[in-house]
Amino acid sequence: MSENNLSIKIHRTIRRWNGSTLVWDIEAYRGTVEAIREEGRRLVTLTPDQIFGHAHRFREEIRSGVDPDTLLVPSFALVAEAVRRVLYIDPFDEQLVCGIVLHQGKLAEMQTGEGKTLAAVFPVFLNALCGRGVHVLTFNDYLARRDAEWMGPVYRLLGLTVGFVQEGMGITERQSAYRQDVTYLTAKEAGFDFLRDNCRYDTSHIVQRDFHYAIVDEADSLLIDEARIPMIIAGATDEPEEQLTPFAQLARAMQPERHFSFDAYGRKISLTEEGIDFVEQQLGCGDLFTSTGVASLSRLYHALHAQYLLHWNVDYLVSGNRIELIDELTGRIAENRRWPEGLHAAVEVKEGVPAQSRGAMRSSITIHHFIAQYPKVAAMTATAEQAEEEFHDWYGLDTVIIPSHRECLRNDFPDRVYRTRREKGHALIEEIATVHATGRPILVGTRTVRESRELADVLIARGIDCRVLNAKDNAYEASIVAEAGTAGAVTISTNMAGRGTDIRLGGSDGKDRERVASLGGLYVIGTNRFESRRIDDQLRGRSGRQGDPGLSRFFISLEDDLFVKYRINELIPKRYIVTSADGCIENAYVNNEINRLQRIIEGQNGDIKFTLGKYSVLIEQQRTIVASYRREVLATGKAFELLRVTARPVVDNILARLGGETTAAHCRTLLLRALDRSWSTYLADMADLRDGIHFRRFGRQDPLHIFNSLAIERFETMLQEARQAAAGELERLCVDGPRRDSPVIDERHNPSATWTYLVSDNPFEDNPDLQLSGNMGYSVFAGLLWPLTAMMLMMKRRGRKS
Amino acid sequence: MLETFQNIFRIPELRKKIYFTLGVIFIYRLGGHIPTPGIDPRVLADYFAQSTNSLFGLYDMFVGGAFKRVTVFALGIMPYISASIIIQLLGTVFPYFHKLQREGGEGRKKITQYTRYGTVLLSFFQAIAISFFLQSITSPVTGMHAVPAGLMGIKFTILTAISLTTGTMLIMWLGEQITNRGLGNGISLIIFIGIVARLPGAVIAEYQQVAAGTRHPFMELVVVAVIIAMTAFIVLITQAMRRIPIQTPKKVVGTKMYAGQNTVLPLRINMAGVIPIIFASSVMTLPGMLIGLIPGMEMMEDISRLFAPGGIIYSIIYALLIIFFTYFYTAIIFNPLDIADNLKRSGGFIPGIRPGKKTAEFLDNVLSRITLPGSIFLAFISIVPFWMMGGMKINFYFGGTSVLIVVGVALDTLQQLESHLQMRNYDGFLKKGRLRGRRL
Repeated sequence: MSENNLSIKIHRTIRRWNGSTLVWDIEAYRGTVEAIREEGRRLVTLTPDQIFGHAHRFREEIRSGVDPDTLLVPSFALVAEAVRRVLYIDPFDEQLVCGIVLHQGKLAEMQTGEGKTLAAVFPVFLNALCGRGVHVLTFNDYLARRDAEWMGPVYRLLGLTVGFVQEGMGITERQSAYRQDVTYLTAKEAGFDFLRDNCRYDTSHIVQRDFHYAIVDEADSLLIDEARIPMIIAGATDEPEEQLTPFAQLARAMQPERHFSFDAYGRKISLTEEGIDFVEQQLGCGDLFTSTGVASLSRLYHALHAQYLLHWNVDYLVSGNRIELIDELTGRIAENRRWPEGLHAAVEVKEGVPAQSRGAMRSSITIHHFIAQYPKVAAMTATAEQAEEEFHDWYGLDTVIIPSHRECLRNDFPDRVYRTRREKGHALIEEIATVHATGRPILVGTRTVRESRELADVLIARGIDCRVLNAKDNAYEASIVAEAGTAGAVTISTNMAGRGTDIRLGGSDGKDRERVASLGGLYVIGTNRFESRRIDDQLRGRSGRQGDPGLSRFFISLEDDLFVKYRINELIPKRYIVTSADGCIENAYVNNEINRLQRIIEGQNGDIKFTLGKYSVLIEQQRTIVASYRREVLATGKAFELLRVTARPVVDNILARLGGETTAAHCRTLLLRALDRSWSTYLADMADLRDGIHFRRFGRQDPLHIFNSLAIERFETMLQEARQAAAGELERLCVDGPRRDSPVIDERHNPSATWTYLVSDNPFEDNPDLQLSGNMGYSVFAGLLWPLTAMMLMMKRRGRKS
Repeated sequence: MLETFQNIFRIPELRKKIYFTLGVIFIYRLGGHIPTPGIDPRVLADYFAQSTNSLFGLYDMFVGGAFKRVTVFALGIMPYISASIIIQLLGTVFPYFHKLQREGGEGRKKITQYTRYGTVLLSFFQAIAISFFLQSITSPVTGMHAVPAGLMGIKFTILTAISLTTGTMLIMWLGEQITNRGLGNGISLIIFIGIVARLPGAVIAEYQQVAAGTRHPFMELVVVAVIIAMTAFIVLITQAMRRIPIQTPKKVVGTKMYAGQNTVLPLRINMAGVIPIIFASSVMTLPGMLIGLIPGMEMMEDISRLFAPGGIIYSIIYALLIIFFTYFYTAIIFNPLDIADNLKRSGGFIPGIRPGKKTAEFLDNVLSRITLPGSIFLAFISIVPFWMMGGMKINFYFGGTSVLIVVGVALDTLQQLESHLQMRNYDGFLKKGRLRGRRL
């Protein structure tokens, strides 16, 4: 184990002093690791049957109520022995420490290439012994499958069963995967199965068991970066098809700036005066801004949004007859994801692909609330330190930093900052060409798929052979990334592509390692800074694994999307922007300033997450209520009793004609369907309410308070209405003449025909002046200081205008 | 209602918050009775009994009498507010502070830190000024100095500066503790307590008057009725708002439209809160102070008498100032152009009104109309008590301003209580987390 050096000790002291939850001190684990090693020496001579027998004995003990903690040392030793025999690997001490940390339900930071996948096997085994199922949540489907297959033999030697879930699997396959002792799958699959299980009409279709323990891999990507977007499942509705073509034509006829203005980053559109006149005249519909005109207005906005703000190859691809969304963060195609409501239809019309059925939100959960479903959670990642507070506050995960097995030799060079994008592009190409000529492998990390392709085109025109990851196939990408360390390789990818795959110097077989190492190892170039330092570090971390040499550097320009999007490039005083001949700004101040701007972005995103989080608390409580109510209805005869109270004559009538069993089944199905519909309407309603709730602040009302009050009020009537609606349908069934077959439900209502929504809007804005009149204490004394206060308000107002 | 209050104490978390808040308030009241060292309280009492400076009176009311007794809490929370206003001002001038304000969580922490340093600095200077003032005080009755001769000078200044600065920092900390771990907004509650603390004394005084026969019991009934009516009136006006419905295009799904009519832009009748009254009363003290400052202006004495509180001219000017400041302040915090722009950007509109200029005009119209009664209301409740004091010979402790503040803080705190109940709504405690019925 590497020695703690002085800087770590100082760092640790400062952290403690600030009340940090971070643990640098892994000394505490040394004793346990020694004990495991000691125990392991006695296991070397065991036969495979004896290993199996040991594992079996542990299982018996756990099931008879022994505390798993007491079995930590012998079970870890047994796993280490099994790993050694099956995979011919002797686990490092660091991996054992990582395993212990994971067992304790903490977050382990372990550098890339140190073997996190293997480290997870130890706690998985110990926690799976009770037979309640352990989930390992991986970064993508490819890794779920790879890891399950890779580690499978180890588990089998120890008498555990392993399964994995892939996108597109059917109900029976999923059920079987979830029944295994250990299941590898992505958090998305786990989350959506969870949501879908709460929409089933038949208990035999439920795929998941109760949750027990989960280990989250690449925790920062999942729990922080992607936590911004809630998981939403939607299902088809019976809405009629709409005529959207006229709106698409109208949108094409309109001119940006003249007829409408838009904010490309805020994704917001508004019509100008001239535009309003134009539209009202073209549509001949009279006043747009009335309760009746709003339907046309809504379709027009969607058409404009689709036409001018969503771009082919950036936001979506057309494959076959379908629109496929590209995930903004990962740069890859997001399967079964759609834009909400009319926007998706508008894009379909724009691209001339046939419309798919319209949908409505069925259920939704945030990553944060989903992870909370697991009684015990652990996590691991290579980049946790920057987000340590967030992990603690949101997920209750304390961070333990595990030093790398060998010291990291990567050099992180300071950014090269350029004034314009064009100058940056030139410099980038030159740098790649120069370095490539030496044979040193280069990995270029871009922001979008389009950027990757454009860069590749330029490089190929220069005669530089390069490989591009195209956001389509995980397995293919993994094979390319694995070779990114080969001498002379130039690999271009978005930040997220190919994660979880080791980049070995000299190619995947490491044949050429010495030569590449002597060239300086893998050179990672970032073409943009990302939303947080942590994501930058994810990219840097591709280089310098296990003591390999390496180098990382970012090429950025003040015109980069990130800075323009948040309009903070304007915050750098002009006098510092002095450039050399090639447009490079060589000024330490600007580099510092850019780090600061990145912190501003992190802060703002953090605020958004925090606000959205507060608005999700009550809705999540209600979701739980609906879910348990629904499960009870699904599993028991409760529906019959409830509807009998609501509509006794109708129920009795059917009962007399169809008999008890069929009636109960009808009642159940109808009540479930009514409940789902009400919940779906309720969610849409609440989403709308939330979108406009910030206006309450202008009247000095607390938006969150109003939101919660209204949510509570409406939730109560919602449950009532569901029962009424079910009774109504039952009555209709009675009039139509009762049938023996179930009144449900064509295929479209089945939860397997679901997709996810992309929502990422932030309706919340701050208005500090209102605080003055809102907070009485503040107001009173601010009033006494009236000259000062008046001055402040005047200056603020002037500032807002400019 | 009663059950709801029982439930509040049945939720352990909430119970803890309430006890915590009460505990902090107790400490605050205790400190409000600890005098700074080296002062003769009798001299002070004599001096303030004669003083006509109404700014002192106003300030004293907000710090719960701590100012006139010169206790360790005499400065109150004001230096903290000054510091935060100054930091806000710096944000409009210096890019560094502007960036901090936008930096989210980390930036806010830094701003809080700077505000605290600023508070130390400001209260230190204010305390020094007060120590000079105290050393200049002599009793108009006995002619004695408030500060003993042996203590005068630098020693007294340092002593006072340290005790008052420490006092203010402690109040600030107490306020933050209430905000973070207790119930309601700490700073508001501290002012609230300062005002309410006088209630028991006032009630006893009234009772003694009736018991001694100096006040007819019927007259007393009238006084109580007027107080209750005024309080009810203030609650009504504080809550009153015009709800402007907002429509957003997203609300439409297919041909069906959601019934939800809850996207509302509320405009309060009393948008400006208590600020105009306090602006106006601090302006009203200016003439008196100027005359006091510039010697040899005896001819101005007559004019200054016109400005004596309670007089007709005083009342008229005061009322006009309040109305002016209400419009002034409302115009500054609520800019119809900004709101219209905000609406437009989020895609919303007021049904029947075009976004942009038309919407701004509409909002401006509505606002002007509801601000007029709002401002008259503010003027009314600040002047009526003066008349009552004069006309009915009532020692009227509860001016409209203080009731307005008390009502405002009480409503806010109640709402916070409600928010806590809401979060526990589904734990089987309550059917509804509402304490009072009202349209939202």
